[in-house]
Amino acid sequence: MKYIYDGSFEGYLTAIYEAYYRRETPERILPDTNLQESLFEENIRIETNSSKASRVANSINEKISPTSLENVYYTFLSELDESDVWIFQYIKLGFKVGKNIDSYLSDDRVLKIMKINRKVTREIHRMLGLIRFRQLEGNIFYAPIEPDFNIITLIAPHFQKRFADQNWVIHDIKRNLAVLFDCINMVLAPLTPDFAIELSKKETDYQHLWIQYFKSIAIKNRINPKLQKQFMPHRYWKYLIEK
Amino acid sequence: MDLQKKLEILSGAAKYDASCSSSGSSRKNVNGGLGNNQSSGICHSWSDDGRCISLLKILLTNICTYNCVYCVNRATNDIPRASFTPEEIVDLTINFYRRNYIEGLFLSSAIIRNPDYTMELMLKTVRKLRIEHKFNGYIHLKAIPGTDSALIAEAGQYVDRMSVNIELPSNDSLKLLAPQKKKESIIKPMGFINSKILESNEVGRFYKKPKKLFVPGGQSTQLIVGATPDHDFNILKLTQGLYRRFQLKRVYYSAYVPVLSHPNLPAVARPPLQREHRLYQADWLLRFYGFKAEELLDDNHVNFSSDIDPKSDWAIRNIHLFPIEINTADYELLIRVPGIGVLSARRIINARKMCSLGYEHLKKIGVVLKRARHFITCRGKYYGEIGMNELLIRNFLTDKPVNLQEQNSDWQQLSIFSHIADSNILENNSLLLS
Ligand code: SF4
Repeated sequence: MKYIYDGSFEGYLTAIYEAYYRRETPERILPDTNLQESLFEENIRIETNSSKASRVANSINEKISPTSLENVYYTFLSELDESDVWIFQYIKLGFKVGKNIDSYLSDDRVLKIMKINRKVTREIHRMLGLIRFRQLEGNIFYAPIEPDFNIITLIAPHFQKRFADQNWVIHDIKRNLAVLFDCINMVLAPLTPDFAIELSKKETDYQHLWIQYFKSIAIKNRINPKLQKQFMPHRYWKYLIEK
Repeated sequence: MDLQKKLEILSGAAKYDASCSSSGSSRKNVNGGLGNNQSSGICHSWSDDGRCISLLKILLTNICTYNCVYCVNRATNDIPRASFTPEEIVDLTINFYRRNYIEGLFLSSAIIRNPDYTMELMLKTVRKLRIEHKFNGYIHLKAIPGTDSALIAEAGQYVDRMSVNIELPSNDSLKLLAPQKKKESIIKPMGFINSKILESNEVGRFYKKPKKLFVPGGQSTQLIVGATPDHDFNILKLTQGLYRRFQLKRVYYSAYVPVLSHPNLPAVARPPLQREHRLYQADWLLRFYGFKAEELLDDNHVNFSSDIDPKSDWAIRNIHLFPIEINTADYELLIRVPGIGVLSARRIINARKMCSLGYEHLKKIGVVLKRARHFITCRGKYYGEIGMNELLIRNFLTDKPVNLQEQNSDWQQLSIFSHIADSNILENNSLLLS
């Protein structure tokens, strides 16, 4: 039996609620996007319900730990195939053993979650550095990204603090999602990349200066493309100005 | 001259300075200004040589009245010269920052006219950034040796980190290669900066929050490695002294890059990167692993070996302390085991509260068993397949292992012999120079 939900974190937590309430163990908890329903499978639709979801979130918070809730959220955002199963198993174990769950590093259910978490955290950290804003006409700073994981909501607060006096947009092209900030409010909204952007007049000057800087800072007798790629994997180069 | 050209010259000249790190200071965004600082440090790019780019690292000018032999900018060297105005630097910094290219500015300079004049221009730049533009990003300023303390005192209120480069590890080398710089002109500002930091912390203790931050990220310095005959033991003792005496946050090492030839300079074909790497490893051991310089090296063993890392080397020379039991050893001892880092030691301490740890657990925790197994037991069992034999373990842990089959008495003699020969050469060298 599979549970089908709307793809949101709330929806997923609602599914967990239902599984406990109905005493069922769904073999998968899948988002309804891109779902190929097969005639022979018995799928159960879960209606997202925020009060059920927040009850699950609260009990993870209290009966396990706030870090565990964060772990669950990060793993959810990894969107990795089968992460739905791993989270479910992790939560079940958590309700059994309580707040020390993350010390059970020799248990595969915990280890798996920790590993994914490390990956997601690493991408967040990388993204904070590798995002590049372009100044558009009308004084908006625009940054396109295509991260492996769905981390836009996790990186936005950093830029809200950093560029508090600046209008900016971070746009996840892969997921058609954007965070927009106008010096006061920050919102998450769907956004398809079907608009033309017009760079401000001085934008290309600064881009050239940056490229110049990037070139002249390298020490010629120490060139090491392998090391460079190890830190800055090729898949992130698309939106870098300097590459 | 256009900005592009200036940037080419003045960033090109600054690139040999290794202290690019921007960590250690968190400055909150004040009154809706621009920027805040992340104390963990963020890399924004990696240059073609694989180094992290975090700051806009430039010289204010490369026009110099001094003539230090090892330096490209020395007065008698025929190279293109340029100077930024403070306004140009402010504009570049802010516009790079707004595009998320950088964490902030690292400003250094050659000595134009005299130290005070140079320092005043640098001060004007950082003052503009902080006061006029409410810039809260990271600023690292090089204090120019020989500058008036009043200028350093003012600059210290605006910047996150200040450093005075020692460059050369001993007074003799300084005389030989940078005759216009005196040891005192370097040590004096260092002492001054440190006393101001302590003072501002002192005020902080009484008023809960310091009234004025003074260089909250601390100070650091840089040493050139390989331009002089100073050996690793000298350098490491100097480092240790700097950490203790001036509470420096970091010492950076920069492999000497042969940019010009001079009779007083060694002829090196390639920068001694391996040596630089070993010094960084040892520096790490001093700062986070509780090692002392004298434990890692001594008068009979003045340089790090190129084919084994300092920690493994120490452990093998002190093999009588091992093996230790993973389920009972103190943290201090755990972190001294090759293959166990600070993080995995903490995980071990945590995990062994739940259950006694076996060999399999260690792998999951992230211990590098290839190294560690020679030095530990798990539940009383030893897993190194070659026993507690110094030479065999050494052979196992070297980066380029020697063929084990050749391991016979001849080979032993040979390796001991070459070791003695090496240190003799070095000692002769230092005799010649002192
Ligand atoms: S004072 Fe500094 S810039 Fe000038 S020659 Fe000496 S090291 Fe180079």
